[in-house]
Amino acid sequence: MKDQTDISGVSERREFLKGALAGAGTAVAAVSIPKAARGAESGTKTRYGMLIDVRRCIGCQACSVACKAEFDVPLGKTRSWVEYVEKGEYPNVSRSFLPRLCNHCEQPDCVDVCPTGATFKRDEDGIVVVDPDICIGCKYCIQACPYDVRFINPITGTADKCDFCLHRVSQGLVPACVESCIGDARIFGDLNDSHSEISKRLATNPVSVLRPGMGTEPNVYYIAADHADESDREKGQHVRVTTHREQEARR
Amino acid sequence: MATRREFLQLGAVTAVAGFAGAPALTAARELRFKGNKGFSPKTGEERKAIPSACWQCVTRCPFVGYVENQRLVSIGPQMNSIRTEGHLCAKGQAGVNQVYDPDRILYPLKRVGKRGEGQWKRVSWNEALTEVAARLEKLRDDGHPEKFMFHYGRMKASASKLIKSVFLATYGTKTIGNHTSICEGGKWTAQELTWGSHYDNWDIDNTRFVLNFGSNCLEAHTNHTPIAERLARALVDRDVRMVTFDVRLSNTAAKSTRWVPIKPGTDLAVVLAMCNVVMEEDLYRGEGENFLEFCKVTAHPDATVAEKVAVLKSHFAQYTPEWAEKISGVSADTIRSVAVEFATSKPACLLSYRGAVAHENGNDTERAVQTLAAITGNIDNPGGRCKAVGASWKYPHGPKDKPKAKKLKILDGFKGEAAFPTHHMSHHVLKMIKDGRAGRPDVYMWYCYEPVYANGAVSENIEVLKDESLIPYSVCVSPFYSESAALADLILPDATYLERWDWEDMVSPSQVAEYYLRQPMVAPLGEVRDFGDVCCELAERMGFPLGFNSKEEFVRESCEMTPGVKDVGGFEYMKAQGVWHDPKAKPKYYSYRKHVKLEALAGDGVILDDATGTYWNWHKSKAKSEEEAKKKGYAHTKNAYKGYVGQQIGTSTYSGFKPDKVNKSGYFEIYSSLMEEKGFPPLPTYTAVPSHETMRSNELILTTYKVNVQSHSRTQNCKWLTEIYHNNPGWINPETAAVLGIAEGDTIRVTSAIGEMETTAKVTPAVIPGIISVSHHCGHWEYGRYASGNKSPMASDDDPDLKRKWWVRNGVHPNWIIPNNPDPVNGQHCWMDTVVTVAKV
Amino acid sequence: MVAEIYWGLPVIFYLFLAGLGAGALTVSAYVYLRGNGGAFGEDHVTVARYGAFLAPIPVIFGCWLLIFELGSFQVGDWFKWINLYLVINLSPMSIGTWLLTLFIGTSLVYACTFVPFMPMLGLNREGLKRALAWVNVPLGISVAVYTGVLLGAMAARPFWNTPLVALLFLLSSLSTGTALILFARAMLPGKGADAAAKKGFHHSNYLLTFSDTLLIGFEIVAIFLFLIFAYLTVGDVRHAISVIMLGGSLAVPFWIGVVAIGLILPALAELYYVVPKLVYHREFAVPRSIELIVPAAVIVGGFMLRYVVVIAGQITGPIGI
Ligand SMILES: Nc1nc2c(c(=O)[nH]1)N[C@H]1C(S)=C(S)[C@@H](COP(=O)(O)OP(=O)(O)OC[C@H]3O[C@@H](n4cnc5c(=O)[nH]c(N)nc54)[C@H](O)[C@@H]3O)O[C@H]1N2
Ligand SMILES: Nc1nc2c(c(=O)[nH]1)N[C@H]1C(S)=C(S)[C@@H](COP(=O)(O)OP(=O)(O)OC[C@H]3O[C@@H](n4cnc5c(=O)[nH]c(N)nc54)[C@H](O)[C@@H]3O)O[C@H]1N2
Ligand code: SF4
Ligand code: SF4
Ligand code: SF4
Ligand code: SF4
Ligand code: SF4
Ligand SMILES: [Mo]
Repeated sequence: MKDQTDISGVSERREFLKGALAGAGTAVAAVSIPKAARGAESGTKTRYGMLIDVRRCIGCQACSVACKAEFDVPLGKTRSWVEYVEKGEYPNVSRSFLPRLCNHCEQPDCVDVCPTGATFKRDEDGIVVVDPDICIGCKYCIQACPYDVRFINPITGTADKCDFCLHRVSQGLVPACVESCIGDARIFGDLNDSHSEISKRLATNPVSVLRPGMGTEPNVYYIAADHADESDREKGQHVRVTTHREQEARR
Repeated sequence: MATRREFLQLGAVTAVAGFAGAPALTAARELRFKGNKGFSPKTGEERKAIPSACWQCVTRCPFVGYVENQRLVSIGPQMNSIRTEGHLCAKGQAGVNQVYDPDRILYPLKRVGKRGEGQWKRVSWNEALTEVAARLEKLRDDGHPEKFMFHYGRMKASASKLIKSVFLATYGTKTIGNHTSICEGGKWTAQELTWGSHYDNWDIDNTRFVLNFGSNCLEAHTNHTPIAERLARALVDRDVRMVTFDVRLSNTAAKSTRWVPIKPGTDLAVVLAMCNVVMEEDLYRGEGENFLEFCKVTAHPDATVAEKVAVLKSHFAQYTPEWAEKISGVSADTIRSVAVEFATSKPACLLSYRGAVAHENGNDTERAVQTLAAITGNIDNPGGRCKAVGASWKYPHGPKDKPKAKKLKILDGFKGEAAFPTHHMSHHVLKMIKDGRAGRPDVYMWYCYEPVYANGAVSENIEVLKDESLIPYSVCVSPFYSESAALADLILPDATYLERWDWEDMVSPSQVAEYYLRQPMVAPLGEVRDFGDVCCELAERMGFPLGFNSKEEFVRESCEMTPGVKDVGGFEYMKAQGVWHDPKAKPKYYSYRKHVKLEALAGDGVILDDATGTYWNWHKSKAKSEEEAKKKGYAHTKNAYKGYVGQQIGTSTYSGFKPDKVNKSGYFEIYSSLMEEKGFPPLPTYTAVPSHETMRSNELILTTYKVNVQSHSRTQNCKWLTEIYHNNPGWINPETAAVLGIAEGDTIRVTSAIGEMETTAKVTPAVIPGIISVSHHCGHWEYGRYASGNKSPMASDDDPDLKRKWWVRNGVHPNWIIPNNPDPVNGQHCWMDTVVTVAKV
Repeated sequence: MVAEIYWGLPVIFYLFLAGLGAGALTVSAYVYLRGNGGAFGEDHVTVARYGAFLAPIPVIFGCWLLIFELGSFQVGDWFKWINLYLVINLSPMSIGTWLLTLFIGTSLVYACTFVPFMPMLGLNREGLKRALAWVNVPLGISVAVYTGVLLGAMAARPFWNTPLVALLFLLSSLSTGTALILFARAMLPGKGADAAAKKGFHHSNYLLTFSDTLLIGFEIVAIFLFLIFAYLTVGDVRHAISVIMLGGSLAVPFWIGVVAIGLILPALAELYYVVPKLVYHREFAVPRSIELIVPAAVIVGGFMLRYVVVIAGQITGPIGI
């Protein structure tokens, strides 16, 4: 049998998918692939992650536009956006910013539900990608992602989302949104390398992830994120969350 | 071409290879990789990287553009820029949309039918320029070159030099308007009256405390990205505290340690009260006291520091925090504590911008701000308010013998409207033309300027521009079909900033000059031409060739002439690198303390003015003779400031605070004799905004502001920006809304003395009671489909995103109801003063 | 709001139709297997035949709807859905794909065995039918359950994320499947020529109706459990459920469409006719209009259930961030 833990290349994966047709034995084994990619127990593999220091984020949307341009994301769709969270009563009002993108979850629900294997978590670096050549656009992953970061790209008809700028990262560049970030609020790097900037900062700051209750174990961390939600309004506080997306409400 | 799938694999392979020891990836794992590189996400192939400079706003950041198959695909930061330190804002990145705006004008268009009717015919450049040259030649030959009025908005650096200093100067008109009075001209004039030259730089990198009056520098500011990235860092890494006074919770206020809501137009009271605290509590001692030596505080130039302190103490005694509280709504405690914190955190940076100065009392607000910085010793010091440092390019000056240029007196408003309109009164130009007493231009040409939308009183602007009896011939130079382009007789399609050449010189927040270049990303689309090139051709046609044939040539020659730049390789170096700074240069501070050399004082024509203690060279002024110069004196000789040499202080002569535009002494003038002579209080003094004094209880003040992802009227055609920001409801405090019976989302009517508009209400605690705040940038009725929904003439449909445009609202434009009102001292348009009533529809 | 609905009417119809077909097949196969041994008498074959002929149609149609709805199909990649067959994994959709494929195959062959003139290639028709019936009962149930599991598998959709949705869909499938058979029998003439056949017809209708009433009863219990557990839970689920509670944006379709039209009214009508027979052994005689309206209401209710659930799940998400 093939080494199930190695799913580095999609073409290899393809072969394997073909193999799946050959016999139920192999096919069932395919189930274990995303699982095998989980967990960086080995400690030697790269595990890319992002740390967003909300204290430094000025809500400028440079990241949103950088991402839009890098991938020419069609209007109405967003891989990356910034939510504004305004709360409090006059004159004690605050506004903080919550930059959003795919969390490249350690336990990605999107991967679990994908019927074609088009969405998978790369073993070598943990980046969750969609292979548009395989994806059929069933939208299951869109339903399954607890962070609403996926969409159907109207040009390809396939699921799309942030891919941590794989094409840049593999060339030694940081992601587009990180490069231009006005506040230097976004730190990108290898979580498994204890000397990386991101590891150092994670080690020395209190951080949080979004919707930890979903069990997805996000690899995008936040320093000082405001987790206030419009539902907090029920508790009598003024909270207004603005997403600047076509989907005006945060989900 | 590799397929996407192969690419996903390719990524994997290189990544693994990278870890095997290639340094590039180690860098990626660490800090940002300083690469100025880009790759295609589809093919993985490297994109062509071209260093250039942004022009989406006045900041003009250096950037790197990425080109794939001759198409500009993205714009990223220039990692080697000492100004931006490798950052680029959202607007800068969305520049891609400017080139490929499907509503761009790609060919010269000539009006057919009535003006403003929207009927156009495509003409050749030859036809267009023959027509323009014929009219201009006729005016010149008739002895009235001044009847050619050129009105620009954003025209800087090489474009300004080529067009204004070379082309227009050789042609012979000085009827040249700008947009500065609707921008921040008032702040500049106030600075000219105080410390001379008119641009301050805030030394964020070295400061310990930031006090901000009405600057939304994390979203706007004329040096936005360089300031914003430094400030974001300072606030977190160095725990710099920041207090922002604003009428609403701007993003800047939101990121500040503290937002202090303030009633519009009352910053002056608060700043004066802070001066009071500093003087009363002796917080001026130390740096402030030392600095007073360089300040003029009384009518006498040779007053001692002790005398100056006494004057300031007595002048500011009237402005107690308790007094200011009643006016501004800011508690006396807050004023006191912030003043103390500011004065005792050394160095501290005092910010002010349009929120503070775009008011009828804006001139003294800025003077008071300068004073507060001065008496705490935060002027031109590391970490304080510094004198701006920008690149000084050399450039070809064109034909030697230029005619004596003439001008129509329509630039500075009506006689007596403003005492020192040193940056003109742009918002009154059309009114002056309508009035006609000071003459009217025969040809009105505007460039990078939006006379209809950008000024107040939009309907009046339209009325004048439409009227052929007031303006016989009008030419709009622009790549886009703006509201004013729609009213022109001829549209000359300019190249966008991504298709043209320039050298640039915007000031550097690091106090070390940066030299940088703008170069084309792609060949100009359609038949568009850089107006600089057009000027070369017009000059040629009119018989005064400029000595270079294109902007590119002008820029190349400048590179070969400019010290430093030419030494590292000139034009070729700049083309390849985009930016250059002198690595040995030290940040510039305390330039006023430099001693003037004796030789300079003994130079030909240099005399000492006893009244002010100023050394000046009368040859450079309009004085006819030394006697006349001595008799009239420095202050009263026209253009005397141009001959300024130095300031005598005590027994030494310092380079001091070099004047610009007005004959101010070399002192830092807290006390302005010039203002005194014009009948204004010489020391910063409180006056209320007159219309706010007489407000009725049901009236509100309308203020306006800019947002981070839009520039003026100019970026709404950028789909990536307008997708994010396209609607601008009026902000109203819940308390005010309750009184007016207005709820969130209600349609409301806002009525001022000159008109009314309908918008929706955003009821939010993020704004002070008693005002309605409506942003700039929205409510276009032209400017293409992304901005307004309206197609421009001969637009193309080749952008597939057009059918994906999902927003239906495009907001409202407040300028329909904001009257054009000048500050009586400097002529600045008082944007934030409009009194309105607001009612639910 | 519109932008948030990724699964719209085609998917709703598909879920409904798949359930309908699965229910019809299960009932058909079950009745066939119970057969003579059950209370259906000779009529069991007729009932089974109705189910057998009806079952594949909605399922095949639903599958096509689903394919048309695929993003890839909509941009012109007409056969990209084949990729579904290149992998088997634990995705409910992958499992569903294989189940449905199998279902369509076996249900078609099963239907063929009911066609007298269909050549059987030397196979034993009755044996094959019986064997397929044995397969089709669990297969039908699986398909019905899978439509619920498809939704229930995701933590991101608190409204769906409970096994009760699968249970509810299963019950609804069986109920609508039964209703479909009843409806078809009422629609098509030929209740049988002689009195005995008529009696058989009515008797089996009675049995079917009675089962349907029971199923509706279970459905009501399941919905009650769904609501009460959601209500007693704090957080996401309770928040999500609020869209179908009074004042919620889906309250009307839910309470009128699902509960009233799909459950309460048919249940009452069915009881009205079933109880006299059940308790007093009276004749089970239902006017033709009722014979048509009641199953139609059940079917509409079944659709509304899919509609409300699918939409509600998408317009609600986890609360908090
Ligand atoms: N994104 C973006 N950036 C820009 C530009 C742009 O169009 N868009 N334009 C550029 C240009 S030309 C300029 S001049 C600068 C302008 O930069 P700024 O002057 O910083 O920006 P504005 O939004 O004009 O005004 C600043 C703030 O003043 C507040 N304000 C209004 N009235 C008062 C008052 O009475 N007191 C106080 N304390 N605050 C008040 C407003 O709420 C607003 O937040 O920005 C430059 N940068
Ligand atoms: N309500 C409200 N009004 C304001 C302000 C505000 O804050 N609120 N801000 C004020 C300020 S600070 C300023 S500086 C002014 C700015 O006012 P303007 O200087 O008039 O700036 P824009 O509105 O951007 O208009 C510039 C015009 O130049 C044209 N243009 C764009 N690119 C090019 C190019 O490459 N070449 C040429 N030739 N033309 C080009 C476009 O037609 C555009 O409409 O607006 C003022 N108006
Ligand atoms: S954030 Fe959503 S799309 Fe991204 S890995 Fe997690 S579950 Fe998948
Ligand atoms: S849309 Fe594509 S990636 Fe998402 S679940 Fe379906 S096949 Fe997988
Ligand atoms: S990492 Fe790349 S794809 Fe992801 S949000 Fe940033 S720019 Fe977009
Ligand atoms: S670019 Fe950086 S500072 Fe700006 S909104 Fe994005 S994360 Fe925040
Ligand atoms: S601040 Fe932004 S828009 Fe202005 S020049 Fe810089 S990058 Fe361009
Ligand atoms: Mo401005």
